Amino acid sequence: MAAGTVSVPFDIYRYEPGKDSAPRYQRYTLTLTPHTPVLTALLQIRSEIDPTLGLRYSCRSAICGSCAMQINSKSRLACETQVGPEFERHGRIVLEPMRNQPVLRDLVVDQSPFWREYHKIEPHLKLDPRRPMPEGKPTPMTPAEVERFKETPRCIACAACYSACPAAEADPSFPGPMALAKLYRFAVDPRDTAHDERLLRIQPNGLWLCLRCHLCTEACPKDVRPSERIRDLKEMAIAVQGGTEHGSKHAVGFKENLKGAGQLHEMKLVRATFGLGGMVGQVGQGIRVWRKKPEIMKRPRPIDGLDELEKIYEALDPPPKEGP
Amino acid sequence: MKLAYYPGCLAQESAKELDMATRYVCRSLGIELVEFPNFSCCGSGFVDEANEVLNIAINARNLAIAERAGLDILTICSTCQGMLTLAKVRMQDPAVKGRVDAALKPLGIEYRGTVEVKHLLRVLTEDVGLPAIKAKVKRPLQGMKVGAFYGCHLLRPADEMQSESGEEPHSFEDLIAAVGATPVDYRGRVMCCGFPILFVKPNTANSIAGRQILDAKAHGADAMATPCPLCHTSLDAYQNQAGKEVGRRLDMPVFHLPQVVALALGAAPEELGLSRHLVRTDGALAKVHSTASA
Repeated sequence: MAAGTVSVPFDIYRYEPGKDSAPRYQRYTLTLTPHTPVLTALLQIRSEIDPTLGLRYSCRSAICGSCAMQINSKSRLACETQVGPEFERHGRIVLEPMRNQPVLRDLVVDQSPFWREYHKIEPHLKLDPRRPMPEGKPTPMTPAEVERFKETPRCIACAACYSACPAAEADPSFPGPMALAKLYRFAVDPRDTAHDERLLRIQPNGLWLCLRCHLCTEACPKDVRPSERIRDLKEMAIAVQGGTEHGSKHAVGFKENLKGAGQLHEMKLVRATFGLGGMVGQVGQGIRVWRKKPEIMKRPRPIDGLDELEKIYEALDPPPKEGP
Repeated sequence: MKLAYYPGCLAQESAKELDMATRYVCRSLGIELVEFPNFSCCGSGFVDEANEVLNIAINARNLAIAERAGLDILTICSTCQGMLTLAKVRMQDPAVKGRVDAALKPLGIEYRGTVEVKHLLRVLTEDVGLPAIKAKVKRPLQGMKVGAFYGCHLLRPADEMQSESGEEPHSFEDLIAAVGATPVDYRGRVMCCGFPILFVKPNTANSIAGRQILDAKAHGADAMATPCPLCHTSLDAYQNQAGKEVGRRLDMPVFHLPQVVALALGAAPEELGLSRHLVRTDGALAKVHSTASA
């Protein structure tokens, strides 16, 4: 083995639906320098060992977003992930297709679920027809207005966030991190005139299924931080509509609940979110928990200095303005 | 070692067993807990969704309480850890700090950002250290396979939480090994428990919890353990619902992190409130006995 190289075993997911009865993992071992990108290793496997290996790639420079896959269970771009640290940590490199999208062949997935959600949010400027953009003239924005987009324009639509998302995995009605980050980008664009409509349309299943687990933010190769923009959208949606969905009701209800004693009143919160009627469905579970943990019914002891908390609320959480 | 004890709401309410176990562990390892009856709830991530600046101010107040006493904060909940840390991070933004200070200063509260917020997991693995814990183990948990379940806010976003890793932590497994049990490696260990949407869409939340429990089971876990009482609620209190969603009887005991440590330090199950769990833990504990006597 040449100096500075390591022998790296790759276990690669192989499956062609309709042809193979079940997925299998095929091992290829390569001698590589630690800084070799995973994509380079894959191309070497394909050109020197096995031309049947299915993979998708294009630019090799973390710009096109084509080569996202699972590398040792993390959703990553193969072109910018080096083999060294992965091998060091896991002793091998397991490569699997992205999650939450059906496999077409080996490491190639059908991205239609991801793009379907992207198109649903209508990712384009919606202008007021009564106030068309002046033809041939730019529509300037201030630096502060551009700053509000935050990191969202960097997105390369690689779908790594969608692959990492446990909400998308459990509930296909969730649009996924990328679509929502893109929605945010238009919801703060001063030229767009459909802000409120965008926010209302995405509720309830759109926004409030986000688990704020931040797995998307870890997976994103461009630091778009989708989970943090989804948080922004939630606050914006509450400002437009108040607490009307289960999700927004729960967030607003929690905020109010905390003001009461400075500590959570568990049962009161459940009632605020589900309403008395909705609680009927929770009765069986409630009794099961109460038998073991009777404290769930208890009113919490108010904290010392509750007045300080009340003053903080007065200063930073003024009651919503009366509508017209 | 002396720390400002921030138990969080659940450990004072439905997860009182977590508080019991924490006190046992700290007593055994010489960690003095200083209590502050003026600490408020951290907002649990929900207040952050409703009003970000308010959430920062609430937690800046909590941080300032410990700051005045000159103590670092000990948390026993991944979400409390996350929210208090997030407030510290956001307060570095002068615009945010200006708004929050304007609300705190009239109350005589000064926030300087000098305290560290440490979860019990970090205090045990970094400050006390695994060799010191090993030296105090009276009953190694040999034979019990435990799947660590970290809880999102302890880890992510990794840059803001300054966590060991967003997706590939190992300190909890190291701790489990140090008390004699066998850590189980499974993908679900860093996944979400579903709790944040338990009151938004219960079926989806339960199905997410069920997936992680099934994953731990498939990798041979006799029990799971978590540093977060919200995860514990999803994984233990709602396990029967989770089982319905994934179509399996799960039967997976779920410990709070300090319960695992306390058991090895010699605590009796009654001292740790194990009977308060919805899923019985004796099956997992029997693994320890059977191996120890074999």
